[in-house]
Amino acid sequence: MASFTPNLEPAPDTSLQFKPKKPRITLQTPSSCPPNQRIQRIKRWRTQRDQHIYSSKLFQALRRSRRTSASREVHETADRVLAVLAKGTTRWGRAILTARKVTKHKKAKLPTNNRLRKPDIYRERRKTPAVERKLKVLGRLVPGCRKLSFSNLIEETSDYIAALEMQVRAMTAITEFLCGGTGGGPQPPADRLPSNVNS
Amino acid sequence: MSSRRSRSRQSGASRITDDQIIDLVSKLQQLIPELRGRRPDKVSASKVLQETCNYIRSLHREVDGLSDRLSQLLASTDTDSDQAAIIRSLLM
Repeated sequence: MASFTPNLEPAPDTSLQFKPKKPRITLQTPSSCPPNQRIQRIKRWRTQRDQHIYSSKLFQALRRSRRTSASREVHETADRVLAVLAKGTTRWGRAILTARKVTKHKKAKLPTNNRLRKPDIYRERRKTPAVERKLKVLGRLVPGCRKLSFSNLIEETSDYIAALEMQVRAMTAITEFLCGGTGGGPQPPADRLPSNVNS
Repeated sequence: MSSRRSRSRQSGASRITDDQIIDLVSKLQQLIPELRGRRPDKVSASKVLQETCNYIRSLHREVDGLSDRLSQLLASTDTDSDQAAIIRSLLM
């Protein structure tokens, strides 16, 4: 992961700020952003420009890496570029970037959970169990959001969904370009090519 | 007696989180294509959450399929650097 534009934070910096062991991290919640930034956040993954930036970065990353014969590598690269574009402002982005460095160890249920049982008796159902269960499932689907508060989880989910949609659009575009390249040969853009094209 | 206490706690707790549920429904409903046309009061929180999870999973599957195709395409077009230049210039 070498050449990034200067306004992007390099990955090691974001990993220093993010400690996976700490359950509560004072992150910049969206509510503390000024209104202009909030509007930018809403439009963030939906502009053509963002999609172009992502497509070109993804394509560069894919060309550079020689190991892209497995679809899993491609998927991980795509997720990584997406997380980098998030510039460390989102929890799922940071979780994606740091997950590759930390060996994934499945945390066994710690015995401290027994201590939490007591308040559970008093507030048996915070919300209905179905909603609670589904919130947990949602927290597992979005990377890095298992122990998030309710409102933060909603914000992360909406950002994550928008980013995923953009990822799908961009990858579809790249696939179409590559298909058009191998299928028909470089015809319309060939005007810009020098004459020494391999035939 | 403990059940009475828990019931009162439950109603107290659900009063706090009702706003959150409304917030959830309003925010997530806009994002999910299937639920966008429906009125917010006709959609339950559980359904919104279920549809959100399904949607994220389907997006994951789509990206999986796309990365599969991309990996195959990249393996076949790896030697062609002229096309790479074209594509890069078109994507910028």
